[in-house]
Amino acid sequence: MATEQQEHLKIEELQQLNPDQIEVMAGRDRENLEGWIPVLATEAEVKDALEKAFDYRGDVTLTLKSGEVVEGYLYDRRHGKTLDDSLVRMMPSKGEDRSRRSIPYSEIAALNFSGRDTAAGKTFDAWVKKYWEKKAAGETNIQIEPEKLD
Amino acid sequence: MAIPVSQAWTVATYVIKQKLAGRKRYPLVLMLEPLFRCNLACAGCGKIQYPAHILKAELTPEECFKAVEECGVPMVSIPGGEPLLHPKMPEIVQGLIDRKKYVYMCTNALLLKEKLHLFKPSKYLSFSVHVDGEKEHHDFGVCREGGHDIAMEGVRAAVAAGFRVTTNTTLFDGADPNSVRRHFDQLMDAGVDSMMISPGYTYDKAPDQKHFLGRARSRKLFNALLSNRKKRWQFNANPIFLEFLMGKRELTCTPWGMPTFSIFGWQKPCYLLQDGYADTFQELLDEVDWANYGTESGNPRCANCMVHSGYEASGVNYTFGSLKGLIATAKAMFGGTYEDEKALKDLNEWAPTNHGQLVQIGSGILSAESERVNHSESLVAGD
Ligand code: SF4
Repeated sequence: MATEQQEHLKIEELQQLNPDQIEVMAGRDRENLEGWIPVLATEAEVKDALEKAFDYRGDVTLTLKSGEVVEGYLYDRRHGKTLDDSLVRMMPSKGEDRSRRSIPYSEIAALNFSGRDTAAGKTFDAWVKKYWEKKAAGETNIQIEPEKLD
Repeated sequence: MAIPVSQAWTVATYVIKQKLAGRKRYPLVLMLEPLFRCNLACAGCGKIQYPAHILKAELTPEECFKAVEECGVPMVSIPGGEPLLHPKMPEIVQGLIDRKKYVYMCTNALLLKEKLHLFKPSKYLSFSVHVDGEKEHHDFGVCREGGHDIAMEGVRAAVAAGFRVTTNTTLFDGADPNSVRRHFDQLMDAGVDSMMISPGYTYDKAPDQKHFLGRARSRKLFNALLSNRKKRWQFNANPIFLEFLMGKRELTCTPWGMPTFSIFGWQKPCYLLQDGYADTFQELLDEVDWANYGTESGNPRCANCMVHSGYEASGVNYTFGSLKGLIATAKAMFGGTYEDEKALKDLNEWAPTNHGQLVQIGSGILSAESERVNHSESLVAGD
């Protein structure tokens, strides 16, 4: 789920329309979050930042109040009534122990959108442009290669 | 018959049992995603955008079996990612067959021919090959030249080896129903058992955010496509769901009908939206506030959705919900060529849309478009 800030424009637009009259569905605008280190001073800032981290398709780095640093993919969050009973769930990307972690919001001192946003930057227009450039250069079997994993 | 009688019987008795037990929410097909990595990078897909360590992760066969047993479905669809990249896929498929589950193994078929010998033909197993249209349409949709030919080679090899083969065609804005109808002929000629079709999913994370069909245009497209249909076309879809796509009937979403299980757990609430994960199927049923989902909920993220994972189970539910539903389904199955003058006229007058570049390779429109693209300095290549 994208955060309110990420979605509000599209949502406002959609709320004006009857779904049965929508001809072409607009996509979502993406916020550029890569490299962002949000301020986590208030409860609202913590909640908002972690909601964005949940929506983010790259790894993030959490520094815990204990000093421990956890880097990985934040794949879920559970909202409780307080920061103590709200938690994020992560799949760590580094270290010996890669088992999943559940970390209460209240233990998080800092958040960094440290990993590359894997959902950003590859537009269909870019593919069309590249396709025709390659075609003009006489290339055959043109394709977008999936990314190398190693 | 598009599906074996044994499968139709199993599904019918399963649904009736759920109804007799008074179950309001029950799953029909498990969407089992054992991995996210893929050997294609399609513009309309939002499933593969993850860091490398996530793309390398995969479910074990035991985790797959546990999920299937936990929710108790009669049918399992294995999308992904590309399932044939999972080293234990033959073991997973065989384990599901041993449990008498009807399995649809979705594949882009790039590896199908070379991996076919790892599977055994069975009435429980269908390869569901993604072929998104005629050659040029498919190749552009999957962003790979030659992809269509390889997929069709895979289809033919699987048919020749005695496997059940279905196809899955996803249509985005710009799709030309005349071309898709020719595509149906080609698929039936290749010997496929049946075909599935769906409007493209509005994936939040897909690279292409411009070509998702809204409901109004989806209905127009599917009505032109599926009216005046040929008797030889066999569809692997609930006929009520197809009527919904054609705009002939209203259905409300049943997102729990096709739950999704992946390396993260049970996806809340559905195959398309990711609002978190439950650790058990029961937790999924209990914790999701279902009233917040479906077009009728007013949730803008559901506004244009007509995908089969939300609405096909609704069609099945309608079929078995009343005598009226059963009669409507029987009528659709045995009588329906859906003759419609207006749809025929729409079909004959269908004009390709200018922004549907993905379906116009080689045409004058696209060549003109390419000129514009090639000479524009404002476009930025994304990779
Ligand atoms: S309408 Fe579509 S997106 Fe919304 S819950 Fe149903 S299947 Fe999911």
